[in-house]
Amino acid sequence: MMPQNRAHQVLDTVIVLATVLLGGVVGYVAAPKPPAPQERQITIRARQYAYEPEVLRVNKGDTLRLRFISEDVVHGFFLEGYDLDVKIFPLEPEFEVSRPSKPGSGERVQEVAITVEREGKFRYRCSHTCGYMHPFMQGEMIVAPNRLFPTSIGMGLGVLFGGLIVAARKRKPA
Amino acid sequence: MKTDRNLQGASSSGSTAGPTPSEDSAGGRRIDLLRLLPPLKWFVSRRWFQFAVVFPTLLLFLLFLLAGIFGSPVGNRNIIVVFVWILWWFLLISVMVPFASRVWCTVCPFPFFGEWLQRRSLVAVRAIDPKQRTGEESESGVLIGRNRYFGLNRRWPKALSSIWLQNIGFLALCTFSALLLTRPIVSVMILGFLILLATVLHLIYRHRAFCSYVCPVSGFLSLYAMTSMMEIRSADTDVCAQCGDKGCLAGNDAGWGCAWGIYPSKLDRNNYCGLCMECVKSCPHDNMALNLRPFGSDTQLKGYDEAWKAFIMLALALAYSVIFLGPWGFLKDWANVTESKEVGGFLLYTVILWAGALVVIPGIFALAVWIGRRLAGPHEASAKQVFLGFAYPLVPLGLLVWVAFSLPLLLVNGSYILMVLSDPFGWGWNLFGTANVAWTPVVPQWVPYLQVPLLLVGLAYALKAGWDQATRLFGRQSQALKAFAPVAVVLTVTVLYFFKLYTG
Repeated sequence: MMPQNRAHQVLDTVIVLATVLLGGVVGYVAAPKPPAPQERQITIRARQYAYEPEVLRVNKGDTLRLRFISEDVVHGFFLEGYDLDVKIFPLEPEFEVSRPSKPGSGERVQEVAITVEREGKFRYRCSHTCGYMHPFMQGEMIVAPNRLFPTSIGMGLGVLFGGLIVAARKRKPA
Repeated sequence: MKTDRNLQGASSSGSTAGPTPSEDSAGGRRIDLLRLLPPLKWFVSRRWFQFAVVFPTLLLFLLFLLAGIFGSPVGNRNIIVVFVWILWWFLLISVMVPFASRVWCTVCPFPFFGEWLQRRSLVAVRAIDPKQRTGEESESGVLIGRNRYFGLNRRWPKALSSIWLQNIGFLALCTFSALLLTRPIVSVMILGFLILLATVLHLIYRHRAFCSYVCPVSGFLSLYAMTSMMEIRSADTDVCAQCGDKGCLAGNDAGWGCAWGIYPSKLDRNNYCGLCMECVKSCPHDNMALNLRPFGSDTQLKGYDEAWKAFIMLALALAYSVIFLGPWGFLKDWANVTESKEVGGFLLYTVILWAGALVVIPGIFALAVWIGRRLAGPHEASAKQVFLGFAYPLVPLGLLVWVAFSLPLLLVNGSYILMVLSDPFGWGWNLFGTANVAWTPVVPQWVPYLQVPLLLVGLAYALKAGWDQATRLFGRQSQALKAFAPVAVVLTVTVLYFFKLYTG
């Protein structure tokens, strides 16, 4: 038989895990539904060490027609989770697009289209050494419904409320 | 015999915090690795142990300095930047500190030359028979305990016997982190300066004054080592009490007296033990244990300097997450002042960083503590006890926040490690055939899914630790709950803000 202290610890852990799970589920469900997908034309300007726009807010299912221009030196545009890498040349409308999963697939174009099928927050990063701060040159593409964010908030609050329940439970004499 | 800050801190702990030292670190099971793994004990007991582990690090360090001076000025093409600020940093904060305490101090090359000059020995011990002590000072060197040292061997000023210097030094260093992380020559200047400073201070002050009171890395190691799953302790304090030799502190012919000024019998926290293993050698009773223990076993902050270290580390994690992991170019320009020439922006960034770390975050925390004490009603715990007690949860939380921050640095830029391994100077070498490996982020899209659990675990640990502090300080559970509630809210909101930065 489990010692009483140990049993209390297990029960406390179960309570906290349950509230974390509940908070996560509530956050997941509460994420606002995105509007209908649409086509967007976006020009991304790169400079040392930032992109304009810094943050792209789009919806799941959107088709993005992306154009790129660099204001200074050669930059890259590596989009996490989308198998897309772009080499952007200074002041040239044409850029080189490739698929990291298929080395040697580079192609020079003036526009590339992607359909955003994955929700969440994805960074686009410079993939061509462009200067001292190159490793930190990045932007964000936030694809709604970004359920991870409200889910994580719900889980964080779940830890707090779970802790409160455990603490309140201990106030009662055994 | 006079000992340094650490022993004094241990003996005075009762004045600032509730439990005695033995209660402080006694919780949970311990497994003595020295008993469990005889080859490990054999290794750390050798006189040449420390030289054997430090010398390779020193050679690497010198290679890094050379690469920084003569190699590529591009950070991600130079081994000093890639190995120190990507690989070493990640291993330090995510592996070494949580699992092996201050094991970095065991192998750190900074004090190598200073300690060599101070001891005039790399391996052997300079010890005398206690009966021959009188008049030995006139021979050569200075006797401290039963060991002979060289240099001035002054005592470190009592007014500076805290980690405040380390706090301010680290914050100053981190103000220039955008330069440090991206310019090999800046890394050379800083790391070179630190090894020079360590050497000079070893010649002026006794023992490891540099490590204990100046080294900026040591400051945060001391804080986060509290969480570590490893500790070195006296196996049986009764044996220490009966021991007439006290070789661990005074030194003997088997080992140097503790360079950190610690008497192992009083050692109740990991903070100021550099794991040099001299006490394992010098203990005449084979009474030292290298224990595995539960995460977060040391739970007492013993001064405001330590609490402020926790605030500074949290502020820096926040600032770095915004500047280095965020999309905002103007902030990168502010931090990257030598290239952007945005002096005004840099000054503003500096003011915000310093004010945030030293005033705003501690202020918010102090307000929460004050509200909690008011809600709790009359109690016996002093304001300082409550403040330090409730500041402790920032230690496990801060560590996990730093791991969450460091994870993308490694996963996204880890392929640079392979590149510079083959071409450490960026000169076009290809030693191992990996110089031309393409920059390949590893599962970058999954990073937020790894960061969220890390932060949740950090929050859970912090709330549990805070609750334990509250019940210890306030006794009555209802009072403890009221007292801790505002701090718990602050801790939770902090984590929610990191969620916003990483996932929102």
